[in-house]
Amino acid sequence: MSETKSEIPAACQEIWVENRLGLHARPAMKITNLALQFQADMFLEKDGVQVNARDLLGILTLDCPQGTRLVLKAKGPDASEAVLSVSRLFAHKFGES
Amino acid sequence: MTENHYLQGIPASPGIVIGRAWVLSEMGEIKGRFRLLFTEEEKAAETARLQAAMDQAHEDLTRLHQDISSEFPEHAHLLELHMLILKDQMLCDESLRLIREERLNAEWAMYRAFEKIKELFSRIEDPYIKGRLADVESVYRRLVGNLTGKATTRLFDSPEPVIIVARDLSPAETTQMANTKVVGFVTERGGKTSHTAIMAQALEIPAVVGLDNATWEIKPGDDLIVDGLLGRVILNPDDKVLERYRRRQLEFGAFKLEVARFCTFAAHTLDDHATRILANIELPEEIQLALKSGADGVGLYRTEFLYLRQRLLPTEEELYRDYKKVVEAMHPRQVTIRTLDIGGDKFLSPLEYPQEMNPALGLRAIRFCLKEPGIFRSQLKAILRASAHGQVRVMFPLISSIQEMREARQLLQEIQEELAKEGHLFDPQLPVGAMIEVPAAVTLASLLAQEADFFSIGTNDLIQYALAIDRSNKQVAGLYQPLHPAVLRMILQVAEAARSAGISVAVCGEMAGDPLYLPILLGLGVDELSMNHMSIPMVKKVIRLIEYKDAQKMARQALDMVTVDEINDFAVQEMSSRFPEIFRFGSALAGAAVI
Repeated sequence: MSETKSEIPAACQEIWVENRLGLHARPAMKITNLALQFQADMFLEKDGVQVNARDLLGILTLDCPQGTRLVLKAKGPDASEAVLSVSRLFAHKFGES
Repeated sequence: MTENHYLQGIPASPGIVIGRAWVLSEMGEIKGRFRLLFTEEEKAAETARLQAAMDQAHEDLTRLHQDISSEFPEHAHLLELHMLILKDQMLCDESLRLIREERLNAEWAMYRAFEKIKELFSRIEDPYIKGRLADVESVYRRLVGNLTGKATTRLFDSPEPVIIVARDLSPAETTQMANTKVVGFVTERGGKTSHTAIMAQALEIPAVVGLDNATWEIKPGDDLIVDGLLGRVILNPDDKVLERYRRRQLEFGAFKLEVARFCTFAAHTLDDHATRILANIELPEEIQLALKSGADGVGLYRTEFLYLRQRLLPTEEELYRDYKKVVEAMHPRQVTIRTLDIGGDKFLSPLEYPQEMNPALGLRAIRFCLKEPGIFRSQLKAILRASAHGQVRVMFPLISSIQEMREARQLLQEIQEELAKEGHLFDPQLPVGAMIEVPAAVTLASLLAQEADFFSIGTNDLIQYALAIDRSNKQVAGLYQPLHPAVLRMILQVAEAARSAGISVAVCGEMAGDPLYLPILLGLGVDELSMNHMSIPMVKKVIRLIEYKDAQKMARQALDMVTVDEINDFAVQEMSSRFPEIFRFGSALAGAAVI
């Protein structure tokens, strides 16, 4: 059992909300749309609260203004690509400022 | 039931429509019927029912999105948001789970899921994000509506044409009403440039906004006349009034069709004097309307919207992106960007300025910008960067001294050097204009003409300051007279100063789009007229049917008269005898309807 579990690729990364307006509707939509393209399940975690990255309302209700620290976790065949893509969105401030 | 009850609001989209009211009440509770499910079959049936409601909602939103996308990017974005909410776990997966595990029927399950989301949103601190609950609610109502077959989303599917009466309409709602049986809008909130107004103009249906108590005074099914020209709604009209308005409706329809032909024509008088006809715009959505009306460019791009719609000051990048969009869409036509015309008290935050006793005479427009160089600089930078993408001019509002003009230009110069160093592209010859709105600027016109590349007379403010009239004060609003001898002399003085300096002069107030004033303005020496897009075809028509030398003669005659009544009678006489049909609707189209 523990053996099969360890075979599922997983990835994890710390990210920061850098865009000025925080995770409002537009960035949340970008995350959700991107997460829907991967097989891996992806989660955003803030202060121990975890939401699915495909879950728009979950991301919104996480209430993340500029400067929030989040942990991005993914589990699934393309976990590391998924984490990389989403963290890139954050790094580019979702194309905002 | 009283007959012929007149209600006055703000005209938002021209035209006349007679029809039945469909009142969208404020949205009440919409729980639907709750019940527990007992058998597996029931659960399966309920799951399928909810699934079908979701599929239906997805299909509807997709269709709306396809219909709306290109012309209204903001509305399209909203629909995309709704589509994602529809796929959301918290709303939909949770509802399905509640059916499966807690044996709730679909309405009950949806209600519970939505209540939980509401709870979570109530804990969000950021008001910007908190506001998105309205979108969740909209999707929730759509789903319950699909489940119950009732119009719970304020969506409606009347087989008959109806006039929508509501406190306010969200962009999502007006979007959904496009291509339906809606023939008019009446709302309590909103102004001339609100989303409802612009949507109605785009759909070419009459609208009256800012009508207090509309949803209270008007009952569902009431017979209504909506006069979008005068901003008037007539409740339960009698046969006589109906007859009159039916005639007016036909006449306006014919008038509109007739002037529409002039959209694509150049604004040349019979004796070949050319005038540039430009559009005033505020929202990016208006570009398409301006182009469709045949605008030769944008003569006044109001830039306050971006500062007022959000909590934080917009960044240079945000401004640049918006300006670029407008500049590119208008290319190769010119876009005249007016820098921020706003008072410190209008800012939501983070600036803190006290409320002013007398904002019209207070810290606003160029004064505010020179006092807040940080804000001004980022706007100027954005404007300059946008100038790399097409034809751009910039103008400063409320200039009242040479000093202000020099300071502003100096800042612009510094920013050009900065941009060059940073390697940004911009137009180094960007024309810089002074808006003439303060009597002091009129007096100084010949000196200002040495400092500016063009003039633009903002007649709304100039008349207000010259005659000391606050238009929003009903006691004196009647004294607001564009043809006041003092106003005409001021326009003449500015036009003459511009001519001797070899620069152009525009008029960009409501006066510019009103055919009543048209020949006089041309005759006084105005080169460009910038107006609401709705006036453009009509103004072009008038120009094509007059001689420039007649316009000059009219201006001279008007200048010889000493009272405003004389001049008014003269203008009305001349215009109504030459263009009876235009004169009937023209002033109202220009937004000059007397309330």
